[in-house]
Amino acid sequence: MTTPTALDGVRILDLTSEMGWYAGKLLADLGADVIKVEPPGGDPGRGLPPFYADQPGRETSLRFWYFNANKRSVTVDLAQHDGRHLFAQLVDTAQIVLESHKPGELEALGVDVAALRERNPALIWTSITGFGLDGPNAGWEVADIVAQAVSGIAVLAGYPDGPPQRIAGNQAYIVAGVSAAQGALLALLHAEATGEGQLVETSIQEALSICQETAHLGWDFQRWSRERIGEQHRMPGIGTYQTLDGYIYSAVGIPGFGAPWTELIAWMADEGKAEDLTEPQYAETFAAFDMRTLGDPAQLAALAPTLERAQEVLTVFYAGKTSIEAYEQGQARRLLIGMVASPADIGDDEHLAAREWWVEIEQSRSLGSEPAALRLPGPPYRLSETPAAIRRGAPTIGEHNREVWVDEVGIPFEDLAVYAGEGAI
Amino acid sequence: MTTANGTRPLDGVRVADFSWFGAGPIAGRTLADFGAEVIRIESEARVDGLRLGQPQKPGKSGYNVCAYFNNYNAGKASLLLNMGAEGARDVALRLIERSDVFLSNLTPRVIERWGLTYDELREVNPAIIAAYQPMQGTFGPHRDFLGFGAVLTPVTGISHLSGDPHRKPVGVGTNYPDYAINPGHTVIAILAALRHRRRTGQGQRIELAQLESVAATMGPALLDYTANNRNQTRKGNRSSWMTPHAIYRCRDVARGAPHPDGSTARERWIALAVRNDVEWNALCNLAADTLFAQDERFATLLGRREHEDALNHQIGEWASDREATELAETLQAAGIPAAVVQDAEDVCEHDQHLKQRRYYQYLNHPETDISLYDGPIVKLHNTPGSLIAPAPLFGEHTYAVATEILDYTPEEVAQLTAAGVLA
Repeated sequence: MTTPTALDGVRILDLTSEMGWYAGKLLADLGADVIKVEPPGGDPGRGLPPFYADQPGRETSLRFWYFNANKRSVTVDLAQHDGRHLFAQLVDTAQIVLESHKPGELEALGVDVAALRERNPALIWTSITGFGLDGPNAGWEVADIVAQAVSGIAVLAGYPDGPPQRIAGNQAYIVAGVSAAQGALLALLHAEATGEGQLVETSIQEALSICQETAHLGWDFQRWSRERIGEQHRMPGIGTYQTLDGYIYSAVGIPGFGAPWTELIAWMADEGKAEDLTEPQYAETFAAFDMRTLGDPAQLAALAPTLERAQEVLTVFYAGKTSIEAYEQGQARRLLIGMVASPADIGDDEHLAAREWWVEIEQSRSLGSEPAALRLPGPPYRLSETPAAIRRGAPTIGEHNREVWVDEVGIPFEDLAVYAGEGAI
Repeated sequence: MTTANGTRPLDGVRVADFSWFGAGPIAGRTLADFGAEVIRIESEARVDGLRLGQPQKPGKSGYNVCAYFNNYNAGKASLLLNMGAEGARDVALRLIERSDVFLSNLTPRVIERWGLTYDELREVNPAIIAAYQPMQGTFGPHRDFLGFGAVLTPVTGISHLSGDPHRKPVGVGTNYPDYAINPGHTVIAILAALRHRRRTGQGQRIELAQLESVAATMGPALLDYTANNRNQTRKGNRSSWMTPHAIYRCRDVARGAPHPDGSTARERWIALAVRNDVEWNALCNLAADTLFAQDERFATLLGRREHEDALNHQIGEWASDREATELAETLQAAGIPAAVVQDAEDVCEHDQHLKQRRYYQYLNHPETDISLYDGPIVKLHNTPGSLIAPAPLFGEHTYAVATEILDYTPEEVAQLTAAGVLA
């Protein structure tokens, strides 16, 4: 018996560009049959770096592979009448469509979205756009950095004397995918209970808004706009510190989070490096901290000399350790310390290895090439009865044309050959 | 509030929300937005730190006036239950028995101490969907490592890969993973499990190790290491394939309100991404009289990348005396992705687009008056999410939950309260 999946029997057509890939990946890993609907020649995102073995090509993009594993691929030209005819038949078999075109763009190609939804009333049409489907900026162009800027999160990242910074990893697109997958699943529960499909709309700007943390809330209550603070520490123990071989982030002294500052003093003392921090005034000062102190500049200012001395000793202490030492030894004392890990640190992390998080697959490439052996990051969660799993690599361009169009949609093979000949698939 | 056809996707779903701070409560907030009945378990013995955080309503104090907490807890009930008190676990299990979903971001140690592991929960409710959000999972050498978003940002590679390559990696200014990735992934897992349960009757255990949940978003950089042995590092606002791709300073404007530091000028910045030659040519047309538009070095993408410092300097000069909002509109009109780097004043006051879409919600809270909340993270056109109530006051629903859901008599409630259990 095979392991059941949570999204067994759910067919999803994925028309998204890079900015919507993650939604389809999340749902595919949970067991949905996600079919990429690509233009002839393939999704333009197939050309994005980094590339396997540093060989640029349409079938070597590691970025594409990661976000499109577990999906199947068909090609169809939606600008052609016959292409749209084929697509409509495929839509009839689907529960969910994911797409990331600008509002009106599909219609301009000739795709009648309203008619497709009418033919399949339980269909969930999921749109991912930078700014949503209406409003004055709905037609704007978007890129990851633009979405991060406009949402209010870029202004919070970076140094005060430098530009606002974008968060790495195309996080705007990640958050877009997370939002759209939630919306599609909510709509699926509703559709399966009532037979009613609907339009689901992710605006990347809005999906990122909550990542402003307190900035927008601060404006609402206090009429000031929080800005990036770079390296300014609110208090010693909180911030990025240099180590022998890199950096750690230390978040010690926040009430409710792990061992208190006195444990940090004990650690330094055990290694003979606490200097004068063993004097009672330091322990007393830190013991009196709560969340309110942390948010009160006046109280913090009054304690400045004590805090500065503690900072000085701590900085020297951390600088005498490697990052992994500071991380593991500190955490063993229940101190909130994280190493500033590079991709290599994560790839070699013994904890993730022990959890067997990585997934090894054979990734097929173009005809005639040996498959690539890949070690992929695993899913974000573990479901005990219906685990998320990466069962197969990403598809090559149109890899499943025959399987889907002929075997599943029922287009006679001879017709498919004609469609191929005219370039509709 | 009901929707057009009177139903919402999570009607009838009850969530026992034992989480606190950000990643757990935000997941519960989304479930509440779409119809679930979410009961936050709180206690005087263990007050959610966000209730004590900032920003607080000016002139007010106490547990109910912090927007940081309120934003993540709209539409929920608050039940006081001190899990350290004798008899509290029975109350917890009684709630879990009557719930569909259990949600917690407590550490594995606390879950074990309180007797709330999945095996224990399913004894009272075999169909429960129990979602745990331990920092690094419930097994493995680092299983007891502690953290939250600020610690996850460095350990998952985000800090190493974000920001100025010439300066110390200071993270991204917020506890970023707590707000969208980890709660969002958790909701996805819960919704998938709900579907499985509706089809089979079977509940399950969900483990979202926050380390794995965030690292899963860094796929391309991690694969570049596992496949190519390349250890990427941060490159600021630059892209691997687009140039220019940067944030430029524009002309300062006056602040809408004086900043606490006394400054009255507000920095303005604009983000710009040129994806192809068509967009590059469009930019050059807009800036036809500038050096960069005429410089042969910048005519090709490889040329622009080779001379990226010089290019950014010149575009920066061009942008520096322009008004950011106008410049963004001009660039967008020419088909180039660009936008003002908005700050809180922008998104709350000046962004006409967000206003027309009514993204932010303003709810009347008994202690903070009309205050701002984030809207639902996604828009469902037939069954829209809605914030049915502002955040609960601390313990506001203890009596109602105890009598109406847990079926305690008023006398039993009084006893449990006196015994410090419902406290």
